[in-house]
Amino acid sequence: MRGLLATFGRELRAYFFSPLAYVVLTFFLLVNGYVFWLILSYLNDPRARAGAPLELFFGQTIFFWLVLLFVTPVLTMRLLSEERRSGTIEMLMTAPVTETQVVLGKYFAALAYYAFLWLPTLAYVWVVAHYGSVDPGPVASGYLGVLGIGALFLAVGLFASSLAKNQIVAAMITFALLVVLFTFGLLESLVTGETAREVLGYLNLWQHMDELSKGIVDTRRLVYYLSAAGFFLFLTGRALEAKRWR
Amino acid sequence: MIEAHQLTRRYGDFTAVDGISFAVPEGEIVGMLGPNGAGKTTAIRMMTGFLPPSSGRVTVGGRDLFADPVAAKREIGYLPENVALYPEMRVEEYLAYRARLEGLERAAARRAIASALDRCLIADVRRQVIGTLSKGYRQRVGLAAAILHDPKVLVLDEPTVGLDPKQIVAIRELIRELGGRHTLLLSTHILPEVELLCRRVVIIDRGRIVAEGSPEALRERWLGTSQVRIGFAGAPPDPGAAAAALGALPGVEAVRAEGPETVHLECAAGADPRPEAFRLAVERGWTLRELAMEKASLEDLFVRLTTREEGAGEPAAGSAEEVAS
Repeated sequence: MRGLLATFGRELRAYFFSPLAYVVLTFFLLVNGYVFWLILSYLNDPRARAGAPLELFFGQTIFFWLVLLFVTPVLTMRLLSEERRSGTIEMLMTAPVTETQVVLGKYFAALAYYAFLWLPTLAYVWVVAHYGSVDPGPVASGYLGVLGIGALFLAVGLFASSLAKNQIVAAMITFALLVVLFTFGLLESLVTGETAREVLGYLNLWQHMDELSKGIVDTRRLVYYLSAAGFFLFLTGRALEAKRWR
Repeated sequence: MIEAHQLTRRYGDFTAVDGISFAVPEGEIVGMLGPNGAGKTTAIRMMTGFLPPSSGRVTVGGRDLFADPVAAKREIGYLPENVALYPEMRVEEYLAYRARLEGLERAAARRAIASALDRCLIADVRRQVIGTLSKGYRQRVGLAAAILHDPKVLVLDEPTVGLDPKQIVAIRELIRELGGRHTLLLSTHILPEVELLCRRVVIIDRGRIVAEGSPEALRERWLGTSQVRIGFAGAPPDPGAAAAALGALPGVEAVRAEGPETVHLECAAGADPRPEAFRLAVERGWTLRELAMEKASLEDLFVRLTTREEGAGEPAAGSAEEVAS
Protein backbone atom coordinates (compact mmCIF):
# COMPACT_ATOMS: atom_id res chain seq x y z
CA MET A 1 0.00 0.00 0.00
CA ARG A 2 2.86 2.30 0.92
CA GLY A 3 4.69 1.63 -2.33
CA LEU A 4 1.46 2.12 -4.23
CA LEU A 5 0.85 5.51 -2.64
CA ALA A 6 4.45 6.59 -3.20
CA THR A 7 4.38 5.79 -6.92
CA PHE A 8 0.87 7.18 -7.27
CA GLY A 9 1.94 10.48 -5.74
CA ARG A 10 5.08 10.79 -7.83
CA GLU A 11 3.33 9.88 -11.05
CA LEU A 12 0.48 12.28 -10.50
CA ARG A 13 2.93 15.09 -9.82
CA ALA A 14 4.86 14.11 -12.92
CA TYR A 15 1.69 14.58 -14.97
CA PHE A 16 1.20 18.08 -13.73
CA PHE A 17 4.86 18.98 -14.19
CA SER A 18 5.15 17.73 -17.74
CA PRO A 19 4.28 19.99 -20.65
CA LEU A 20 2.76 17.06 -22.50
CA ALA A 21 -0.06 16.84 -19.97
CA TYR A 22 -1.05 20.42 -20.72
CA VAL A 23 -0.87 19.84 -24.45
CA VAL A 24 -3.18 16.87 -23.99
CA LEU A 25 -5.49 18.87 -21.74
CA THR A 26 -5.67 21.70 -24.28
CA PHE A 27 -6.27 19.35 -27.19
CA PHE A 28 -8.88 17.48 -25.20
CA LEU A 29 -10.80 20.57 -24.19
CA LEU A 30 -10.55 22.19 -27.63
CA VAL A 31 -11.90 19.14 -29.42
CA ASN A 32 -14.58 18.44 -26.85
CA GLY A 33 -15.60 22.10 -26.78
CA TYR A 34 -15.84 22.09 -30.54
CA VAL A 35 -17.87 18.87 -30.52
CA PHE A 36 -20.20 20.25 -27.89
CA TRP A 37 -20.68 23.38 -29.92
CA LEU A 38 -21.40 21.29 -33.03
CA ILE A 39 -23.97 19.29 -31.11
CA LEU A 40 -25.68 22.40 -29.79
CA SER A 41 -25.84 24.05 -33.20
CA TYR A 42 -27.15 20.83 -34.70
CA LEU A 43 -29.88 20.57 -32.10
CA ASN A 44 -30.76 24.26 -32.54
CA ASP A 45 -31.56 23.61 -36.16
CA PRO A 46 -35.36 23.29 -36.27
CA ARG A 47 -35.05 20.52 -38.83
CA ALA A 48 -32.94 18.32 -36.52
CA ARG A 49 -34.55 15.46 -34.72
CA ALA A 50 -34.96 16.07 -31.02
CA GLY A 51 -32.28 14.82 -28.62
CA ALA A 52 -30.51 15.59 -25.41
CA PRO A 53 -27.16 17.27 -26.06
CA LEU A 54 -25.31 15.31 -23.41
CA GLU A 55 -26.54 11.99 -24.74
CA LEU A 56 -25.15 12.91 -28.11
CA PHE A 57 -21.95 14.11 -26.52
CA PHE A 58 -21.25 10.88 -24.68
CA GLY A 59 -22.41 8.16 -26.90
CA GLN A 60 -23.59 9.03 -30.29
CA THR A 61 -20.78 10.75 -32.14
CA ILE A 62 -17.51 9.40 -33.44
CA PHE A 63 -15.70 12.33 -31.80
CA PHE A 64 -15.97 10.79 -28.38
CA TRP A 65 -14.04 7.77 -29.62
CA LEU A 66 -11.52 9.71 -31.64
CA VAL A 67 -10.58 11.71 -28.60
CA LEU A 68 -10.40 8.66 -26.40
CA LEU A 69 -8.33 6.63 -28.86
CA PHE A 70 -5.78 9.41 -29.20
CA VAL A 71 -5.62 10.72 -25.68
CA THR A 72 -5.25 7.53 -23.66
CA PRO A 73 -2.09 6.28 -25.44
CA VAL A 74 -0.48 9.65 -24.82
CA LEU A 75 -1.39 9.54 -21.14
CA THR A 76 0.12 6.12 -20.56
CA MET A 77 3.01 5.90 -23.02
CA ARG A 78 5.53 7.41 -20.63
CA LEU A 79 4.64 5.51 -17.48
CA LEU A 80 6.93 2.48 -17.65
CA SER A 81 8.87 2.95 -20.88
CA GLU A 82 10.49 6.10 -19.55
CA GLU A 83 11.58 4.33 -16.36
CA ARG A 84 13.21 1.67 -18.46
CA ARG A 85 14.80 4.07 -20.93
CA SER A 86 16.30 6.31 -18.28
CA GLY A 87 17.25 3.44 -15.98
CA THR A 88 15.22 4.62 -12.98
CA ILE A 89 13.50 1.23 -13.15
CA GLU A 90 16.60 -0.19 -11.48
CA MET A 91 16.04 2.00 -8.46
CA LEU A 92 12.34 1.20 -8.42
CA MET A 93 12.87 -2.56 -8.63
CA THR A 94 15.51 -2.58 -5.92
CA ALA A 95 13.34 -0.54 -3.57
CA PRO A 96 11.36 -2.54 -1.02
CA VAL A 97 8.14 -2.45 -3.04
CA THR A 98 6.48 -5.06 -5.21
CA GLU A 99 5.84 -4.88 -8.95
CA THR A 100 2.13 -4.90 -8.26
CA GLN A 101 2.40 -1.81 -6.09
CA VAL A 102 4.37 0.01 -8.77
CA VAL A 103 1.98 -0.98 -11.54
CA LEU A 104 -1.13 -0.07 -9.56
CA GLY A 105 0.38 3.20 -8.34
CA LYS A 106 1.09 4.28 -11.88
CA TYR A 107 -2.25 3.04 -13.13
CA PHE A 108 -4.27 4.95 -10.57
CA ALA A 109 -2.25 8.07 -11.24
CA ALA A 110 -3.11 7.80 -14.95
CA LEU A 111 -6.74 7.19 -14.06
CA ALA A 112 -6.77 10.19 -11.76
CA TYR A 113 -5.30 12.42 -14.43
CA TYR A 114 -7.78 11.05 -16.94
CA ALA A 115 -10.63 11.90 -14.58
CA PHE A 116 -9.13 15.34 -14.18
CA LEU A 117 -9.25 15.77 -17.97
CA TRP A 118 -12.98 15.16 -17.93
CA LEU A 119 -13.62 17.48 -15.02
CA PRO A 120 -14.01 20.65 -17.12
CA THR A 121 -16.68 18.95 -19.22
CA LEU A 122 -18.97 19.35 -16.21
CA ALA A 123 -19.25 22.90 -17.52
CA TYR A 124 -21.22 21.53 -20.46
CA VAL A 125 -23.62 19.95 -18.03
CA TRP A 126 -23.95 23.29 -16.30
CA VAL A 127 -24.55 25.08 -19.61
CA VAL A 128 -27.27 22.66 -20.60
CA ALA A 129 -28.83 22.80 -17.14
CA HIS A 130 -28.74 26.59 -17.18
CA TYR A 131 -30.39 27.05 -20.56
CA GLY A 132 -32.50 23.96 -20.63
CA SER A 133 -32.95 20.92 -18.48
CA VAL A 134 -30.70 18.01 -17.61
CA ASP A 135 -31.74 14.53 -16.69
CA PRO A 136 -29.11 13.65 -14.06
CA GLY A 137 -29.42 9.89 -14.50
CA PRO A 138 -28.09 9.56 -18.05
CA VAL A 139 -25.39 12.15 -17.35
CA ALA A 140 -24.17 10.13 -14.38
CA SER A 141 -24.22 6.88 -16.34
CA GLY A 142 -22.45 8.65 -19.21
CA TYR A 143 -19.63 9.63 -16.87
CA LEU A 144 -19.64 6.11 -15.49
CA GLY A 145 -19.03 4.83 -19.01
CA VAL A 146 -16.29 7.40 -19.54
CA LEU A 147 -14.54 6.15 -16.42
CA GLY A 148 -15.10 2.48 -17.18
CA ILE A 149 -13.83 2.61 -20.73
CA GLY A 150 -11.01 4.90 -19.64
CA ALA A 151 -10.04 2.36 -16.98
CA LEU A 152 -9.84 -0.32 -19.67
CA PHE A 153 -7.95 1.82 -22.19
CA LEU A 154 -5.43 3.06 -19.64
CA ALA A 155 -4.70 -0.49 -18.52
CA VAL A 156 -4.02 -1.42 -22.14
CA GLY A 157 -1.77 1.63 -22.43
CA LEU A 158 0.15 0.79 -19.28
CA PHE A 159 0.70 -2.72 -20.58
CA ALA A 160 2.04 -1.39 -23.89
CA SER A 161 4.30 0.96 -21.96
CA SER A 162 5.83 -2.01 -20.17
CA LEU A 163 6.72 -3.59 -23.51
CA ALA A 164 8.62 -0.78 -25.19
CA LYS A 165 11.52 1.37 -24.12
CA ASN A 166 10.47 4.04 -26.54
CA GLN A 167 7.44 6.16 -25.64
CA ILE A 168 6.32 6.56 -29.22
CA VAL A 169 6.46 2.83 -29.79
CA ALA A 170 4.46 2.34 -26.61
CA ALA A 171 1.86 4.83 -27.84
CA MET A 172 1.63 3.10 -31.21
CA ILE A 173 1.18 -0.33 -29.61
CA THR A 174 -1.52 1.11 -27.38
CA PHE A 175 -3.26 2.72 -30.31
CA ALA A 176 -3.18 -0.52 -32.30
CA LEU A 177 -4.55 -2.56 -29.39
CA LEU A 178 -7.26 0.00 -28.70
CA VAL A 179 -8.31 0.06 -32.34
CA VAL A 180 -8.63 -3.72 -32.22
CA LEU A 181 -10.67 -3.56 -28.99
CA PHE A 182 -12.83 -0.83 -30.41
CA THR A 183 -13.49 -2.46 -33.76
CA PHE A 184 -14.56 -5.75 -32.18
CA GLY A 185 -17.93 -4.13 -31.77
CA LEU A 186 -18.07 -2.78 -35.28
CA LEU A 187 -17.44 -6.28 -36.60
CA GLU A 188 -20.73 -7.36 -35.06
CA SER A 189 -22.66 -6.29 -38.12
CA LEU A 190 -20.21 -8.02 -40.45
CA VAL A 191 -19.95 -11.53 -39.06
CA THR A 192 -22.67 -14.09 -39.65
CA GLY A 193 -22.01 -16.76 -37.00
CA GLU A 194 -24.48 -16.64 -34.14
CA THR A 195 -21.91 -17.12 -31.36
CA ALA A 196 -19.43 -14.72 -32.89
CA ARG A 197 -22.17 -12.12 -33.12
CA GLU A 198 -23.07 -12.59 -29.53
CA VAL A 199 -19.48 -12.36 -28.33
CA LEU A 200 -18.74 -9.31 -30.43
CA GLY A 201 -22.01 -7.76 -29.32
CA TYR A 202 -20.89 -8.20 -25.75
CA LEU A 203 -17.67 -6.37 -26.58
CA ASN A 204 -19.30 -3.62 -28.64
CA LEU A 205 -17.97 -0.53 -26.95
CA TRP A 206 -19.89 1.83 -29.22
CA GLN A 207 -23.12 0.09 -28.28
CA HIS A 208 -22.16 0.27 -24.61
CA MET A 209 -21.66 4.02 -24.64
CA ASP A 210 -24.85 4.49 -26.59
CA GLU A 211 -26.75 2.68 -23.86
CA LEU A 212 -24.92 4.36 -21.03
CA SER A 213 -25.51 7.81 -22.46
CA LYS A 214 -29.21 7.03 -22.42
CA GLY A 215 -29.06 6.02 -18.80
CA ILE A 216 -29.13 2.26 -19.32
CA VAL A 217 -26.61 0.74 -16.94
CA ASP A 218 -25.87 -2.89 -17.68
CA THR A 219 -23.52 -4.31 -15.06
CA ARG A 220 -22.13 -6.78 -17.60
CA ARG A 221 -20.48 -3.82 -19.31
CA LEU A 222 -18.80 -2.71 -16.13
CA VAL A 223 -17.70 -6.25 -15.39
CA TYR A 224 -16.13 -6.36 -18.85
CA TYR A 225 -14.21 -3.09 -18.38
CA LEU A 226 -12.96 -3.94 -14.94
CA SER A 227 -12.00 -7.54 -15.64
CA ALA A 228 -10.26 -6.63 -18.89
CA ALA A 229 -8.46 -3.79 -17.14
CA GLY A 230 -7.45 -6.22 -14.38
CA PHE A 231 -6.21 -8.66 -16.99
CA PHE A 232 -4.02 -6.05 -18.69
CA LEU A 233 -2.66 -4.86 -15.35
CA PHE A 234 -1.79 -8.44 -14.51
CA LEU A 235 0.01 -8.73 -17.85
CA THR A 236 1.85 -5.51 -17.09
CA GLY A 237 3.17 -6.93 -13.83
CA ARG A 238 4.24 -10.11 -15.62
CA ALA A 239 5.92 -8.16 -18.41
CA LEU A 240 7.81 -6.08 -15.89
CA GLU A 241 9.03 -9.23 -14.21
CA ALA A 242 9.86 -10.97 -17.49
CA LYS A 243 11.99 -8.06 -18.68
CA ARG A 244 14.36 -8.73 -15.84
CA TRP A 245 14.79 -12.34 -16.80
CA ARG A 246 16.18 -11.49 -20.20
CA MET B 1 25.93 -9.45 5.99
CA ILE B 2 25.42 -9.92 2.27
CA GLU B 3 26.37 -13.21 0.71
CA ALA B 4 26.40 -14.60 -2.81
CA HIS B 5 26.13 -18.37 -3.18
CA GLN B 6 27.11 -19.83 -6.54
CA LEU B 7 25.54 -16.93 -8.39
CA THR B 8 25.24 -17.55 -12.10
CA ARG B 9 23.62 -15.49 -14.78
CA ARG B 10 23.31 -16.48 -18.41
CA TYR B 11 22.13 -14.37 -21.30
CA GLY B 12 21.31 -16.95 -23.93
CA ASP B 13 24.58 -18.77 -24.58
CA PHE B 14 26.66 -16.12 -22.90
CA THR B 15 27.47 -16.61 -19.24
CA ALA B 16 27.98 -13.18 -17.74
CA VAL B 17 28.51 -14.38 -14.18
CA ASP B 18 29.63 -17.92 -13.57
CA GLY B 19 29.13 -19.38 -10.12
CA ILE B 20 30.58 -16.67 -7.91
CA SER B 21 30.39 -17.00 -4.14
CA PHE B 22 31.60 -14.50 -1.63
CA ALA B 23 30.48 -12.76 1.50
CA VAL B 24 30.73 -9.25 2.81
CA PRO B 25 30.99 -9.55 6.59
CA GLU B 26 29.29 -6.94 8.77
CA GLY B 27 31.17 -3.67 8.98
CA GLU B 28 33.66 -4.46 6.22
CA ILE B 29 34.35 -2.63 2.99
CA VAL B 30 34.77 -5.12 0.20
CA GLY B 31 35.88 -4.05 -3.25
CA MET B 32 34.85 -5.90 -6.34
CA LEU B 33 37.46 -5.38 -8.96
CA GLY B 34 37.47 -6.36 -12.59
CA PRO B 35 38.00 -5.02 -16.08
CA ASN B 36 35.08 -3.59 -18.00
CA GLY B 37 32.69 -6.33 -19.01
CA ALA B 38 33.91 -8.77 -16.37
CA GLY B 39 30.42 -9.21 -14.96
CA LYS B 40 30.66 -6.82 -12.01
CA THR B 41 27.47 -4.95 -12.77
CA THR B 42 25.55 -8.15 -13.49
CA ALA B 43 26.76 -9.61 -10.20
CA ILE B 44 25.80 -6.45 -8.34
CA ARG B 45 22.39 -6.30 -9.99
CA MET B 46 21.73 -9.82 -8.81
CA MET B 47 22.90 -9.01 -5.31
CA THR B 48 20.54 -6.04 -5.08
CA GLY B 49 17.57 -7.98 -6.40
CA PHE B 50 17.24 -6.21 -9.73
CA LEU B 51 18.19 -9.23 -11.82
CA PRO B 52 17.10 -12.70 -10.87
CA PRO B 53 20.03 -15.14 -11.09
CA SER B 54 19.92 -18.10 -13.48
CA SER B 55 21.02 -20.15 -10.51
CA GLY B 56 22.43 -19.56 -7.06
CA ARG B 57 21.11 -17.31 -4.35
CA VAL B 58 21.78 -14.19 -2.36
CA THR B 59 21.16 -13.65 1.31
CA VAL B 60 21.09 -10.30 3.06
CA GLY B 61 21.45 -10.50 6.81
CA GLY B 62 20.38 -14.14 6.57
CA ARG B 63 17.26 -13.37 4.51
CA ASP B 64 16.97 -14.85 1.05
CA LEU B 65 16.70 -12.01 -1.44
CA PHE B 66 14.39 -13.88 -3.79
CA ALA B 67 12.21 -15.63 -1.25
CA ASP B 68 11.60 -12.49 0.80
CA PRO B 69 12.51 -9.62 -1.53
CA VAL B 70 10.73 -6.73 0.18
CA ALA B 71 12.25 -7.35 3.61
CA ALA B 72 15.71 -8.10 2.18
CA LYS B 73 15.71 -5.05 -0.08
CA ARG B 74 14.92 -2.86 2.91
CA GLU B 75 18.39 -3.69 4.27
CA ILE B 76 20.14 -2.60 1.08
CA GLY B 77 21.05 0.86 -0.11
CA TYR B 78 22.05 0.77 -3.75
CA LEU B 79 23.78 3.25 -6.00
CA PRO B 80 23.52 1.88 -9.55
CA GLU B 81 26.24 2.40 -12.12
CA ASN B 82 24.18 4.86 -14.11
CA VAL B 83 22.67 7.01 -11.44
CA ALA B 84 19.26 7.50 -12.98
CA LEU B 85 17.15 10.21 -11.38
CA TYR B 86 13.97 11.94 -12.41
CA PRO B 87 15.19 15.13 -14.08
CA GLU B 88 12.01 17.10 -13.46
CA MET B 89 12.06 16.67 -9.69
CA ARG B 90 13.80 18.84 -7.15
CA VAL B 91 16.48 17.21 -5.02
CA GLU B 92 14.37 17.38 -1.89
CA GLU B 93 11.27 16.07 -3.65
CA TYR B 94 13.21 13.17 -5.04
CA LEU B 95 14.59 12.26 -1.63
CA ALA B 96 11.10 12.54 -0.15
CA TYR B 97 9.83 10.15 -2.81
CA ARG B 98 12.61 7.68 -2.12
CA ALA B 99 11.91 7.93 1.61
CA ARG B 100 8.25 7.11 0.97
CA LEU B 101 9.27 4.14 -1.19
CA GLU B 102 11.43 2.94 1.67
CA GLY B 103 8.48 3.27 3.97
CA LEU B 104 9.78 5.97 6.30
CA GLU B 105 7.24 7.82 8.39
CA ARG B 106 6.84 11.50 7.68
CA ALA B 107 8.87 12.74 10.65
CA ALA B 108 11.54 10.09 10.24
CA ALA B 109 11.76 10.92 6.54
CA ARG B 110 12.27 14.60 7.27
CA ARG B 111 15.10 13.82 9.65
CA ALA B 112 16.65 11.28 7.28
CA ILE B 113 16.54 13.72 4.36
CA ALA B 114 18.11 16.50 6.37
CA SER B 115 20.90 14.24 7.54
CA ALA B 116 21.51 12.70 4.09
CA LEU B 117 21.65 16.16 2.50
CA ASP B 118 24.20 17.09 5.09
CA ARG B 119 26.34 14.01 4.89
CA CYS B 120 26.47 14.06 1.11
CA LEU B 121 27.16 17.81 1.03
CA ILE B 122 24.24 18.67 -1.18
CA ALA B 123 22.26 20.84 1.22
CA ASP B 124 23.05 23.82 -1.00
CA VAL B 125 21.20 22.35 -3.98
CA ARG B 126 18.23 20.94 -2.11
CA ARG B 127 15.76 23.16 -3.98
CA GLN B 128 17.40 22.68 -7.37
CA VAL B 129 15.81 20.71 -10.21
CA ILE B 130 17.81 17.51 -10.71
CA GLY B 131 18.02 17.97 -14.47
CA THR B 132 20.18 21.06 -13.95
CA LEU B 133 22.72 19.39 -11.65
CA SER B 134 26.24 18.39 -12.66
CA LYS B 135 27.27 14.74 -12.77
CA GLY B 136 29.09 14.98 -9.45
CA TYR B 137 26.07 16.42 -7.71
CA ARG B 138 23.80 13.80 -9.23
CA GLN B 139 26.10 11.10 -7.98
CA ARG B 140 25.84 12.56 -4.52
CA VAL B 141 22.06 12.84 -4.76
CA GLY B 142 21.99 9.16 -5.70
CA LEU B 143 24.18 8.36 -2.75
CA ALA B 144 22.02 10.44 -0.43
CA ALA B 145 18.97 8.52 -1.64
CA ALA B 146 20.75 5.23 -1.05
CA ILE B 147 21.55 6.02 2.59
CA LEU B 148 18.17 7.57 3.49
CA HIS B 149 16.79 4.52 5.24
CA ASP B 150 20.09 3.83 7.02
CA PRO B 151 20.60 0.48 5.29
CA LYS B 152 22.76 -2.19 6.83
CA VAL B 153 24.44 -2.84 3.50
CA LEU B 154 25.44 -0.22 1.00
CA VAL B 155 26.16 -1.39 -2.54
CA LEU B 156 27.93 1.07 -4.81
CA ASP B 157 28.51 0.25 -8.46
CA GLU B 158 31.35 2.32 -9.92
CA PRO B 159 30.64 5.30 -7.71
CA THR B 160 33.36 7.55 -9.13
CA VAL B 161 33.00 6.84 -12.82
CA GLY B 162 32.64 9.96 -14.94
CA LEU B 163 33.59 12.41 -12.22
CA ASP B 164 36.35 15.00 -12.33
CA PRO B 165 39.37 14.46 -10.07
CA LYS B 166 38.12 16.85 -7.41
CA GLN B 167 34.74 15.19 -7.27
CA ILE B 168 36.39 11.77 -7.15
CA VAL B 169 38.30 12.79 -4.06
CA ALA B 170 35.12 14.14 -2.46
CA ILE B 171 33.13 11.00 -3.24
CA ARG B 172 35.90 8.75 -1.94
CA GLU B 173 36.03 10.76 1.23
CA LEU B 174 32.31 10.30 1.57
CA ILE B 175 32.54 6.57 0.90
CA ARG B 176 35.23 6.18 3.49
CA GLU B 177 33.05 7.99 5.98
CA LEU B 178 30.04 5.83 5.08
CA GLY B 179 32.20 2.75 5.54
CA GLY B 180 32.26 3.55 9.23
CA ARG B 181 28.51 3.16 9.52
CA HIS B 182 27.52 0.65 6.88
CA THR B 183 28.72 -2.63 5.48
CA LEU B 184 29.96 -1.73 2.04
CA LEU B 185 30.26 -3.52 -1.25
CA LEU B 186 31.99 -1.42 -3.85
CA SER B 187 32.57 -2.26 -7.47
CA THR B 188 35.17 -0.49 -9.52
CA HIS B 189 37.72 -0.92 -12.25
CA ILE B 190 39.95 1.75 -10.72
CA LEU B 191 42.69 0.16 -8.65
CA PRO B 192 43.83 2.98 -6.42
CA GLU B 193 40.26 3.28 -5.29
CA VAL B 194 40.29 -0.27 -3.98
CA GLU B 195 43.70 0.07 -2.37
CA LEU B 196 42.52 3.26 -0.74
CA LEU B 197 39.16 2.12 0.54
CA CYS B 198 38.92 -1.61 0.88
CA ARG B 199 40.34 -4.09 3.30
CA ARG B 200 39.19 -6.97 1.18
CA VAL B 201 39.18 -7.39 -2.56
CA VAL B 202 37.39 -9.77 -4.87
CA ILE B 203 38.83 -9.82 -8.38
CA ILE B 204 36.44 -10.86 -11.09
CA ASP B 205 37.26 -11.69 -14.66
CA ARG B 206 34.96 -13.15 -17.28
CA GLY B 207 32.31 -13.84 -14.72
CA ARG B 208 34.50 -15.76 -12.29
CA ILE B 209 36.34 -14.87 -9.14
CA VAL B 210 40.04 -15.14 -9.94
CA ALA B 211 41.43 -13.95 -6.60
CA GLU B 212 40.16 -12.86 -3.23
CA GLY B 213 41.80 -11.44 -0.11
CA SER B 214 43.23 -8.28 1.39
CA PRO B 215 45.24 -6.11 -1.02
CA GLU B 216 48.46 -6.89 0.89
CA ALA B 217 47.85 -10.63 0.98
CA LEU B 218 47.03 -10.66 -2.69
CA ARG B 219 50.18 -8.80 -3.50
CA GLU B 220 52.24 -11.21 -1.51
CA ARG B 221 50.55 -14.31 -2.76
CA TRP B 222 50.62 -13.47 -6.42
CA LEU B 223 53.64 -11.24 -6.68
CA GLY B 224 55.78 -12.63 -3.89
CA THR B 225 58.86 -11.04 -5.38
CA SER B 226 59.66 -7.43 -4.99
CA GLN B 227 62.23 -5.69 -7.14
CA VAL B 228 65.18 -3.44 -6.49
CA ARG B 229 66.05 -0.95 -9.15
CA ILE B 230 69.65 0.20 -9.39
CA GLY B 231 70.60 3.16 -11.51
CA PHE B 232 74.30 3.76 -12.29
CA ALA B 233 75.72 7.19 -13.00
CA GLY B 234 77.65 6.06 -16.06
CA ALA B 235 77.61 2.39 -17.01
CA PRO B 236 79.90 0.09 -14.98
CA PRO B 237 83.05 -0.87 -16.94
CA ASP B 238 82.13 -4.52 -17.20
CA PRO B 239 78.31 -4.95 -17.21
CA GLY B 240 78.53 -8.75 -17.33
CA ALA B 241 80.68 -8.97 -14.23
CA ALA B 242 78.55 -6.42 -12.43
CA ALA B 243 75.43 -8.42 -13.15
CA ALA B 244 77.04 -11.60 -11.96
CA ALA B 245 78.21 -9.94 -8.73
CA LEU B 246 74.75 -8.51 -8.07
CA GLY B 247 73.13 -11.83 -8.83
CA ALA B 248 75.32 -13.50 -6.21
CA LEU B 249 73.95 -11.27 -3.42
CA PRO B 250 71.76 -13.07 -0.85
CA GLY B 251 68.04 -12.90 -1.65
CA VAL B 252 68.50 -11.98 -5.28
CA GLU B 253 66.91 -14.43 -7.66
CA ALA B 254 67.51 -12.84 -11.01
CA VAL B 255 69.10 -9.81 -12.56
CA ARG B 256 67.56 -8.03 -15.47
CA ALA B 257 69.40 -5.25 -17.29
CA GLU B 258 67.32 -2.40 -18.56
CA GLY B 259 69.68 -0.38 -20.69
CA PRO B 260 73.35 0.10 -19.79
CA GLU B 261 72.69 2.24 -16.71
CA THR B 262 69.80 0.47 -15.01
CA VAL B 263 69.36 -3.05 -13.67
CA HIS B 264 66.51 -4.71 -11.85
CA LEU B 265 67.07 -7.29 -9.14
CA GLU B 266 64.25 -9.73 -8.61
CA CYS B 267 64.20 -10.60 -4.95
CA ALA B 268 62.84 -13.52 -2.98
CA ALA B 269 59.78 -12.78 -0.85
CA GLY B 270 60.71 -10.69 2.16
CA ALA B 271 64.33 -10.21 1.07
CA ASP B 272 65.87 -6.75 0.93
CA PRO B 273 69.30 -6.83 -0.73
CA ARG B 274 69.73 -3.06 -0.81
CA PRO B 275 72.39 -2.80 1.94
CA GLU B 276 74.49 -5.52 0.31
CA ALA B 277 74.07 -3.94 -3.09
CA PHE B 278 75.25 -0.63 -1.69
CA ARG B 279 78.32 -2.19 -0.09
CA LEU B 280 79.09 -3.99 -3.32
CA ALA B 281 78.87 -0.73 -5.24
CA VAL B 282 81.25 0.96 -2.84
CA GLU B 283 83.65 -1.95 -3.09
CA ARG B 284 83.67 -1.91 -6.88
CA GLY B 285 83.71 1.88 -7.14
CA TRP B 286 80.35 2.23 -8.99
CA THR B 287 78.64 5.57 -8.64
CA LEU B 288 74.95 5.04 -7.94
CA ARG B 289 72.21 7.39 -9.09
CA GLU B 290 69.45 5.44 -7.44
CA LEU B 291 68.81 2.36 -5.37
CA ALA B 292 65.13 1.73 -4.81
CA MET B 293 62.81 -1.02 -3.70
CA GLU B 294 59.79 -1.34 -5.99
CA LYS B 295 56.78 -2.94 -4.39
CA ALA B 296 54.64 -4.68 -6.92
CA SER B 297 51.39 -2.77 -7.11
CA LEU B 298 47.91 -4.20 -7.17
CA GLU B 299 47.87 -2.88 -10.67
CA ASP B 300 50.49 -5.41 -11.76
CA LEU B 301 48.51 -8.13 -10.08
CA PHE B 302 45.35 -7.00 -11.77
CA VAL B 303 46.99 -6.96 -15.17
CA ARG B 304 48.49 -10.39 -14.58
CA LEU B 305 45.22 -11.87 -13.41
CA THR B 306 43.04 -10.44 -16.09
CA THR B 307 45.24 -10.55 -19.18
CA ARG B 308 45.88 -14.09 -20.15
CA GLU B 309 48.09 -14.89 -23.06
CA GLU B 310 48.04 -18.54 -23.89
CA GLY B 311 50.39 -20.53 -21.70
CA ALA B 312 51.06 -17.66 -19.34
CA GLY B 313 51.21 -20.17 -16.51
CA GLU B 314 50.38 -18.99 -13.02
CA PRO B 315 47.84 -17.74 -12.23
CA ALA B 316 45.79 -20.43 -13.89
CA ALA B 317 42.92 -18.97 -15.83
CA GLY B 318 39.61 -19.02 -14.06
CA SER B 319 40.71 -20.81 -10.92
CA ALA B 320 39.61 -19.07 -7.80
CA GLU B 321 42.26 -18.93 -5.12
CA GLU B 322 41.41 -17.97 -1.63
CA VAL B 323 44.13 -16.05 0.11
CA ALA B 324 44.00 -15.68 3.85
CA SER B 325 43.75 -12.06 4.78
